[in-house]
Amino acid sequence: MLELNGLTKRFGNVTAVDNLTFTVQKGEIFGLLGENGAGKTTTLRMLATMLKPTSGTARLAGFDVVRSPEEVRRRVGFLFGGESGLYDRLTVYENIQYFGELNDMHPREIKKRIEELADIFDMKDFLNKRAGKLSKGMRQKASFARAIIHNPDVLLLDEPTSGLDVGAMREVQAFLKVQKEKGKTILFSSHTMSEVEKLCDRIAVIHKGSLVDMGSTDELLKKHGTQTLEDLFMGLVGGSK
Amino acid sequence: MNWKHVMIVFKKELKDIVRDRKTLFTSIILPIFLMPLLFLLIGGGTEKMSEEMTTDITVALTADSYSEAAQWFLKESLETQDEDITIIEPVADPWEAINSKQAKLVVSLDRDFKKKLEALEAFTLKVYYDGSLSRSGGAVGSLMSAIDKLNEGIAVKRLEAMGINPQILTPVLVETENISRTGDGNILLMMVLPMLIAMLVAVGGIPAATDLVAGEKERMTFEPLLATRPSRMSILMGKYLTINLFSFASVIATLTGMLLAFFINPDALSMGMGEIGGFNLDTGTVILCIAVTILLGMTFSGIQLAISTYARSFKEGQTYLSLLMFVVIIPAYATMMVMPNDIQLYMYLIPVLNTISAFKLVLGGLTNYTGLILAMVTSLVYVVLSLLTAAAMFRNEKYLFRS
Ligand SMILES: Nc1ncnc2c1ncn2[C@@H]1O[C@H](COP(=O)(O)OP(=O)(O)OP(=O)(O)O)[C@@H](O)[C@H]1O
Ligand SMILES: [Mg+2]
Repeated sequence: MLELNGLTKRFGNVTAVDNLTFTVQKGEIFGLLGENGAGKTTTLRMLATMLKPTSGTARLAGFDVVRSPEEVRRRVGFLFGGESGLYDRLTVYENIQYFGELNDMHPREIKKRIEELADIFDMKDFLNKRAGKLSKGMRQKASFARAIIHNPDVLLLDEPTSGLDVGAMREVQAFLKVQKEKGKTILFSSHTMSEVEKLCDRIAVIHKGSLVDMGSTDELLKKHGTQTLEDLFMGLVGGSK
Repeated sequence: MNWKHVMIVFKKELKDIVRDRKTLFTSIILPIFLMPLLFLLIGGGTEKMSEEMTTDITVALTADSYSEAAQWFLKESLETQDEDITIIEPVADPWEAINSKQAKLVVSLDRDFKKKLEALEAFTLKVYYDGSLSRSGGAVGSLMSAIDKLNEGIAVKRLEAMGINPQILTPVLVETENISRTGDGNILLMMVLPMLIAMLVAVGGIPAATDLVAGEKERMTFEPLLATRPSRMSILMGKYLTINLFSFASVIATLTGMLLAFFINPDALSMGMGEIGGFNLDTGTVILCIAVTILLGMTFSGIQLAISTYARSFKEGQTYLSLLMFVVIIPAYATMMVMPNDIQLYMYLIPVLNTISAFKLVLGGLTNYTGLILAMVTSLVYVVLSLLTAAAMFRNEKYLFRS
């Protein structure tokens, strides 16, 4: 579903992403693990066609991110952690509706889908409130709903749980599991090992833009003879420093 | 670019910004109420001033030159020439008297004026006025014409006494006739209105422009938007249209305000300088004028969009855009006094000045098709250039993802 081949991004002298190659299968939850500045956001931005790779290619559902950006974007749901990116002066409903319209959905279809999402995310009470007036947890739910209004095949999530309390974090994790069951492909970045460990089928550890190692949690732990991902990560990253 | 997407973005931006009371207030509500207030205040002020200069002109003799004969002479000869002139009791200090509003003017006469008058000699009448006070400085004119009439009256009597036809004094008879095709009150309108419209069209989109890109970047709503299906150019065009709408809305709001002022007090717009009317209703000129104005709005919307995209944050955007405001205001003020017949050809080629020139033509009842068509063609070029710049900024990830 997702193929990265030698994907590289340079900003001036800084190589933010360096020759990344990996594939994510349909229905897989794939974790991008790395410290601050490792290049996670940059990688996701390239996959969402917002940044052009300096070299290398990436394909999403067979479409090249540089050559067919619109085909790629219609299949992608993109979400940032930390900030919800909602329009404060619009209601939750209007926020979600806007993204439905932008993704060429029929008004009737949008209405039906929002009702459905309001059910899933338990948003009925604040659907018609202005986004600016909501709590952080509510905003996060609304932005999740907005990101998947058009039922995308691939979810690109940049640190989706950052800044959430434990309860909200659990909800996000439960949501990701449901999406996986529906056959969605999920690529998400994180620097919390425990989260990646629990959720991901496979993990890529990146450091300073380069792929350090990749595999399932078990594989990685076995290979490096460490007990927890925490240790594994410190070993890998520490070794390359 | 996909027009369906453009309209979706446009509609959403409109809804979003209309809910932003600050932007709505500064670009629409404020001009509607500020304009009448401004014109009524300034207009009322100048009207009062000119009334002060021409009515109730109080003139006093200096105590030094006072004599019963002098007082009587002034009353007899000046009050009869102009009923607005009143001779009051003599005053000791001219400056004191004028500044304490006792008198508007103070005069002194030669002590032996009566003797000179009878001997057919000239005597001096000295007028003291305070040029820093319009009520005093402005009243000099009225007194002067009264004295001119007095001189003429005395001369005529003397000539008749000598049996000479008084017409000998005026070999040239002067007649004047105002053949202006526009109302005298248009002069002020010609100075203020074109400047105001051009400025507003050029800067009216600024609040919207700041909010629409720099604001979106800052609120982190921009990236999710860019990750949706529409191309960047569709998103850009939707925002561009919104900014355009606001720059024209601010002009319409201001004109509404001025009309309001006109209905409250018809003299307010001309500031008491006469009738307003006789505009050029030559259809071609009016159409070209409106076209040039719209193109100016489009040019500046593009520039504002480019600047807002370049800015890292809302604050930075505000700073750059207020600098842009100065770039507009300076040439606009500099050409305020230019009258329609004084417009140079180069003015039609420069943004802002081209719109000002076109409006001056319309208000002055003139036309200049060469200038207007030149303005039109160059404006089109500016629109394209500014849009291309905005598009280049919008495509450039260096500016979009600066932080
Ligand atoms: N627009 C940009 N211009 C210049 N340098 C950039 C830009 N975006 C990212 N970088 C640099 O590229 C590197 C990778 O940044 P990136 O944001 O992808 O890391 P990250 O893994 O998402 O980090 P974090 O955990 O802090 O979010 C950093 O050194 C960053 O300074
Ligand atoms: Mg990041």
